[in-house]
Formats: sequence, C-alpha cells, structure tokens
Amino acid sequence: MSQMHPEINRILTNMEKVITGKKEVATLTIVALLAQGHVLLEDVPGVGKTMMVRALAKSIHAELRRIQFTPDLLPSDVIGVTIYNPRDMDFQFYPGPIMGNIILADEINRTSPKTQSALLEGMEEQSVTVDGVTHVLEKPFFVMATQNPIEYEGTYPLPEAQLDRFLLKMKMGYPSLEEEMDVLKRAQNVPPIDELQPVVSLQELRQLQLEAKTVYVDDSIRKYIAELSSATRFHEHVYLGVSPRGSIALMKAAQAWAFVHNRDYVLPDDVKHLVPFVFAHRIRLKPEARFEGAFIDQVIDQVISQVSVPVQKHVADYE
Amino acid sequence: MNSQRTMRTVNSLFLHVLSFFLLWEWLRPVEQLTGTNWVVFFLGFVAGSLLLAFLGAPRALSALLKGIYIAVCIQFFHYSSFTDMLQSFPASVLANMEMMIKGQFTDLSNAFRTLLFFVLLWITVYLIHYWLMLRQTILFFFLATIVFITVLDTFTPYSAQSAIVRAVVIGFFMMGILAFQRLSSTENLSKPGTAQWKWLTSLAVLVAASAAIAFTAPKADPIWPNPVPFIKSIGGSSGLSTNESGQSGFRSDDSSLGGPFRPANVVVFTAEVEEEHYWKVDTRDAYTGKGWVASNPDEEARTFRRRVPDSLFSFTEAVPAESRTSIVYNEEDYGHIQYPHGLERISAASSFRYSLNTGTSKITPFNGEEPDAPDSYAVQYQHPSFQARDLQVSTPEDEGVAFRSIQNQYTQLPDSLPEEVRQLALEITAGHDTTFDKVKAIESYFSASGFTYEQEDVPVPAEDEDYVAQFLFDTKQGYCDNFSTSMAVMLRTLDIPSRWVKGYTEGTYLETLESGNQLYQVTSENAHSWVEVYFPGIGWVPFEPTQGFTNEAVPEVEDPTQAPVNEETPEDAETPADTPEQPVTEEPTPVEEELIEDGGEAAAVNDESFLQRNGKRIALIAAAVLILSVLVFKFRRKWLPFYSVFQFKQKKEDRHFPEAYLVLLTQLERSGLKREKGQTLGEYAKEIDALFSGTSMSTLTAHYEQYVYRNRLEPGTWSRVHADWEQLMHKTRTMK
Repeated sequence: MSQMHPEINRILTNMEKVITGKKEVATLTIVALLAQGHVLLEDVPGVGKTMMVRALAKSIHAELRRIQFTPDLLPSDVIGVTIYNPRDMDFQFYPGPIMGNIILADEINRTSPKTQSALLEGMEEQSVTVDGVTHVLEKPFFVMATQNPIEYEGTYPLPEAQLDRFLLKMKMGYPSLEEEMDVLKRAQNVPPIDELQPVVSLQELRQLQLEAKTVYVDDSIRKYIAELSSATRFHEHVYLGVSPRGSIALMKAAQAWAFVHNRDYVLPDDVKHLVPFVFAHRIRLKPEARFEGAFIDQVIDQVISQVSVPVQKHVADYE
Repeated sequence: MNSQRTMRTVNSLFLHVLSFFLLWEWLRPVEQLTGTNWVVFFLGFVAGSLLLAFLGAPRALSALLKGIYIAVCIQFFHYSSFTDMLQSFPASVLANMEMMIKGQFTDLSNAFRTLLFFVLLWITVYLIHYWLMLRQTILFFFLATIVFITVLDTFTPYSAQSAIVRAVVIGFFMMGILAFQRLSSTENLSKPGTAQWKWLTSLAVLVAASAAIAFTAPKADPIWPNPVPFIKSIGGSSGLSTNESGQSGFRSDDSSLGGPFRPANVVVFTAEVEEEHYWKVDTRDAYTGKGWVASNPDEEARTFRRRVPDSLFSFTEAVPAESRTSIVYNEEDYGHIQYPHGLERISAASSFRYSLNTGTSKITPFNGEEPDAPDSYAVQYQHPSFQARDLQVSTPEDEGVAFRSIQNQYTQLPDSLPEEVRQLALEITAGHDTTFDKVKAIESYFSASGFTYEQEDVPVPAEDEDYVAQFLFDTKQGYCDNFSTSMAVMLRTLDIPSRWVKGYTEGTYLETLESGNQLYQVTSENAHSWVEVYFPGIGWVPFEPTQGFTNEAVPEVEDPTQAPVNEETPEDAETPADTPEQPVTEEPTPVEEELIEDGGEAAAVNDESFLQRNGKRIALIAAAVLILSVLVFKFRRKWLPFYSVFQFKQKKEDRHFPEAYLVLLTQLERSGLKREKGQTLGEYAKEIDALFSGTSMSTLTAHYEQYVYRNRLEPGTWSRVHADWEQLMHKTRTMK
C-alpha cells in the first residue's frame, strides 16, 4: 500500500504505542469511523478489543462509553431514563451510555432483542427518543460491538436486518509469537494507555469524515460494486444475498479506505480488499450448503474471482 | 450521443436493405419457375414494407398504404377497372376462402392467390423486422433461405450457383452487424462509432475474402451419389422414361444431355405422306445448363377427341398454308402421338381420346381410360410456307402483352451460363438487324466454323461445365442435341424466344404408292431434335441447325447468295450417322475468316482456359498465402511489439497513453501472462514487476488507474513513462 493520509497516520502511530500488531484491524476501524459506520468485532475475549477502542478514543480526544451487555439489561440502561425531580417539579432526563462519541458494546448478543434494538436504532438514526423527546447523538458517533463466537448458550443472535447496520465485521485474531512477547514486555511497565495523548481533535475528525465523502467514485467502480452484490445474490450456495444497502456500505467503506490511503479516488483494489469485511455478515448461506461444508469466506472468494474487474473506461469519456 | 443515434440509424437502414436482398433471393426462383411476370410488383411491395418498417411508420398508416398497394396491384393484374374489381373481388374472396377451408386448393382463383401471396410477403416482412430490431438475430431466416435455395437447385431447373453466393454474403454480413449490435449493447460501448467502423471494415474484408476464396477454390465432387433420381423414383414418375430411353432413340428425361448417341435400330412407325416432313413429339422450354426440362411439367392437360385444341399453337392464319394429311402405322407404342408441325386433327378408331400437355405440346393417346396408342391414325395438318419477307418485318410490338409472356417463358437461361456464349451469339449476329436474319445467321453458323457431326465421341459435361459452352468452345463435335441446344440457347441470349423440339426426321423412303403418296419408314435412329423460334404475328417457325439435316418447313432466306443451308435430297439426310456432312472444313468461308481474324471468340476461349490452366497455381499461391498468414498470426507476439513501439513513437500526446497501456496488456496476455478476471490492475502489475524484477508496470499502472478511475491524466505522463512502456514491450518478446 502506498503512503497513508498524514493525520490518519498520526492516529495509527499513536495507537501502536499501546497495541502491538493489529494495524489492519486498527485501519479498518478508522475506515468505519470515517465512513460514519459501525464495527462488529467477533472474537474471543482477551485479544485486545477494548484496548484498541480505548486507544482510538484517546487519540481522537473522544469520550469512550462502555456497555457490558447482559441478559437483564434494559433499553433504558442504554439510552437513558427520565426521572421525576421533586425539587424542580419536573421530569428530568438522565442520559444513558449511548450519549457518547465512541461506544464499546461488549458481547452484544448476550442481551435481549429489545435492548439490542434500542442500541441498533440509535446507531442507524444517530438519535434516540425517550418519552417523546428526541435526543440527537453527538458526532462523531461510533459503535464498536463485540460478540463471542464460541458461546451460544443463553445468547440472542442478531437478526440479519440488524447485522446489516454494521458497516464492517471483522476478527481480531491472535497475535504472532513475537507480537505476544512484545505484549508481555509492555505489560510489565506502567499501562501505556494512561500516558496516551490525543493527536487529532474531534473537530478535525469531523472534517476528515466530510472529506472522505468527497472521494471520487468512477462509474466503472460503481458498476463493479453493483456486479459484486448481484453476484452474491445469484450464487448457488447463497440463501440471502447482499442488499443494496450492502452495496452502499461497500462504496462508503471503499471511499474511506481510499481516503485513509491518501487517494482522492477509489480503485478496484480498495473495493476488492473490503468485500469480505462488508459482505460476510450480510450473506446467509443455504442450510444445505452449510451442511455440505461451504463457508461464507469461500463463497466471497468465488464471487470476487468471478466478477471481472473493470480495466477500461466506462461510459464517461475522457476529455 | 447524436452520432451514436445516426450510427444506429445507418445500421438499421443497412440491415433493412440487406434483408430486402435476401428476400429477393426468395422471389427470383419464383419468377423463373412459375413464369410470373409481375415479380417486380412483389419486389416493390417488399421494398415499400421494409421502408415503412425502417421509418417506423404508425401501424395504421403502414397497413393502409400496403392495403392500397395490394388493391392496386390486384386490379392491375386481374381486373380491367376498379369498379369491376369492387363488384366481383369481395365475393370471389369469400368463395375462395370457402374453397380453402374445404381443401380445394387447385380451384382457387388467380386474384385470390395473388392476395394470399401479398399477405405472405407482408407477414414475412413483419417477421424480418421483428427479428432484426427486437431479437437482433437473423440466423433462422438466413438458414431458411439457404435451405430454400439449395432445395430448389437440387430438385428444379433453377440454378442457384450465384444465388447461393449472394445469399451467403448477405447473410453473413447481416449476422455480423447484428452481432456487433448485441455486443455493443451488452458491453455498454461508449463510443460505438469508431468501433463500428472497425467492425464493419473487418467484417467486409472477412466476408469478401472468404467468399472469394470459397468461390475460386477447387470444389471436391460430392461424396454421396446424387440422391435426386432415387427420390424421384420413389415419387413414381420414372416408369415411362426407362421404357423409352434407348429404344425409341430419345429419352423423356433430357435434363442431362451428352454422351454417345446409340439408338437401337427399331422401326417405330411407317408413314404414308403427301410430302415428307419432320415428326414432332414434344417440346421443352427450360434450359438448365446440362439439358432441358419442362418448366411446368404438370401444366394443365387438355383432353380432346379429334380436333386439336387451340392451345397447341403452331402459327397464325397469316402464314400461307396448304392442308395435307399423313397416315401413321405404328409399330411400337411409346405412349405418344407423333405429328407434323401445324397439326389440326387426329383421326383413329372412335374409342380413342387424346390428352394434350399444353406445357410440352406432347399428345398422349388413351383408349377409354387406359393409355394406349392406336395402331394407325391419320393426322390432318396445315403445311406452312413461311415467307422470309413476312419474317423479316415481324417485330415484337405486334402482339404486346401476349408476346411478352412468351418471351419471358422462352428466353429463360440459367445463371450459370457462361458469358462467352452470349458474346459468341453477338459476334455471329453482328451486322444483322432483323430477328430473322439473326436466327438464320446462328442457324448457319454450325455448318462452318469447324463443327463436325459425331455420335460416339461426345462427352457428358463435367459438374461445373455448361453443356452448350462445352460444345461451342471445347469439343465442337456432337449430334443433333448439341446443335439444336446451342442454337436455342444462343438465340435466348439475344432475347429471341425459342424452344427445343424433339421428334423424328421424315425417315427412310421406301416407295411411292399408287395414290401418289410416299411411304416412309421411321426407326429409332431417326430420332432428332431441332429448334423452333417464335415470331410475333406469325408463330413458331422451325429451324434446323444440325449439319446434314434438312427440314422442308424451314424458311429460306430470299437472297440466294446468303443461303448456307445444304441442298440435300431426303435420301442423303436419312442416315446422318453414316455420312455426316462436313461441307467447309478445308476452305473457310469469308464469314469464318472474319471471325478468326476478329479473335473475339479465341479470346473468350482463352479467358476460360486461363482459369482452368492456372487453377492449380492459383490454389498453390492461395495455400501459401494462407499458411504464411497463419504463421504471421501465430508468431505475432514476436513481431507485434516492434510495430507497436514504432507506432507509438509517432503518438506522443498524453491521450495515447491509455491506448498504449491496453496494447501492453494485450501483448502481455499473448505472452502467457493473462490477467485473471477478478484480478485488479494493481495486483497484476505487482505480479508482472515481480516477474521482470522491476517497477515499470506498477508505475504505468498507477497512471493508468488515475486515468480510468479518476478521469485524470497528469500532463506529460506519457513522455515520462514512455521508456518504461517500451522496455516492457520488448521484455514480453523475450519471454520463453
């Protein structure tokens, strides 16, 4: 990859002081942040999910709120609650943890669908309504939800419609041997997270978000994206393909990815690189295909190799 | 985008014009085989309908226009006036519909048939338009055309040699254009204009080249035996022909003439005549290039008892004639009546009926219902004395429409007829103004010019050879069939209506009876063929081109100095096989000298033999060129880079960079480094650079990506990366 956007590079370097390796995941997280989307992390506990989000929040001078989802969590615990204040003789709104910049929603599949939907609605609308009063959420608003893939007992898996609201879904993965040694070495010292200084202001981040939107997408790229989505819909193993909302997500993510790599136009490479992260949680395989051992990753690989990359001008003429 | 629309329109116009020509191929044989004189009107209808379809005229308007056209045509063909038509046509249509439902197809009126044909054409044009514009495919119609033409070529006298070439060229062109249209719509071509011209030129070159190669290439003989006789024998029409051939001295199937003439010496009949005369059996009107057939063998038969119907028309009353009677004593029954020219009446036992085939003038006798010939019968006929004076002044205007119909039927010629035949006919008749002079000139041509009468050593023409051309330019020896066919065909090239007549000569003189009548014996050796020419206002006049034969009925030229026909006694002419006359072989007549000096004939002969002689050489050269082209194409990877590098040395502007990059991609692909479908240019460039251990491809690709995906090309890009590009182009050549 070519050089990074300077400001993004600063954030990433800053985060690297705290977390080892994981540059890819960190970059993707920033891509989702710039595209004003949300991230679903699927991984076992203890691989540094929280640490990464905290480092990100510190680097951009944002407020981090954390919600640990449990089966008995109520929507009001997420959104906030209105309580009668006898002194003012009025109801007063006490905002919940969702009223922050960066929300870490841990083990989102552990809570009841009602509570899940309260969070997911906020993610989509960028606002919450309590007792008829709409509270607009602060910008940037970024949710990083995690779910544990190995425990299914007592969980409420997210329905497709709600999975669709996450821009990217990714795995953290275990560190390599050298990285883990480095982690151990750092653990002996003062937790570096406390010493982390912000490198970008929230105002600057909002500006970056706006700029990412202006990244140029050629017709040929749009066609490529549409063809990719369409290919998932007609794949023999797929029960539910990618929706047009998925196509939009892929384009936005590709724009942000191009922006992060300091480019003002999208390449097919950007799209191709992001397809697994954008599409994986939006595709539902047929039960019989799953039974035969087909994996979503394989299906996506097939789709990518089937759809031809545009290499010539499309419709618009160069003058 | 305006130019794009014009391109579409041009394309569509082109397609409609081509489909018109393809449809024309369907109508051509109709004209030849059915003798329809009005094909031009049907063509006009097709052209008009296609034009309306092309212009996208509203359905109602187009239907109205077509309806009016059809009405006008039907009135013109079949009715004297519009009121007449309005009165009777609707009723006739209803009546005909009823007949159609009942299955009485033979009773349908001509006007209704015309209407049906128009409707058929209407539907066809609609279908073609639908195929062209909506389905964008024409293969089915094209195949149907080819099948139609080939079937006609096989089973009818229609010769489709050039028709098939035309149809194939037109069809391939249409399919090519339609394929391009389909491609450009699926590929969303942004600039179809330039691509189209490239496509069209290469298509034209390809079609022209393959057609030319196919046309000139030597053609192998068919591997299968000709299935037509077998199929026809299953149809059950061959019963008589096997009986007749050989014994009677002539075959009923004359569709492939040539080969030795070896009649069995069988006495066919004895005749008692006032004056000797030729005996006609039947006539043929369609020449196929190999022989003669009846264009309409199933022409309506007229049954009669004594008086011969007027449809057996010989000549008009304007010709001075003398009533005579001959008596025939049949020895063999071949199922036909032989009769003199000018036949009026047949008298035999009262139980006999006769059936006249108006197409071939053949008269078949019946006894009751069974075909049977009477043992003896008398024929009463008018013996004509055609006056050269009258024949000289006979002009085509005399009979108008009727003559045009006869001229249409009796000047038919196959497309395969070599042009030299016409050239020769023009040379022979040069300097002769009237039809009669021309006919006489051609008739007497054979008695000079080195032709000899020969019965044995007569070849059958080869597959690609014309029977007449073979005789006129190649062998120059033959018997009556060769002479008579050549004369008739040459006359037809000059638009003089003529037909081929089969029958017997007067036979061998036996004795003079007490009544003053002469007795003649006619054997199968006397089987003969000659020519009849139609003169407007006069009728069918016989001519005798065969050396050593004399027909009393043939009119003589008045100027005695020009009379070339031999004055021979009947005795001499009886046995032409024994004493074929070769009057002027040693001393060429002035006419012949002129011809030789003129050299026109010789040049024509040379023209033909040039192809024949050099056929092998041409084929060899063509093969060499083909092999060379294949090699050049196969190894293009090695030499194309030089060409491309040279080409792009001239093109220094930035706008040529993308083009150059694509050339490089193609060249890499040729070198076995094909980019996968799902591989991005960036990934591909890395792979190439890893292979060549460099960074040129990535540099080039980065610029190209900006061009394609950002619509931006930094000024000076091409000059900066030109060296990288050239280097890569040359590296591809050195790949394994």
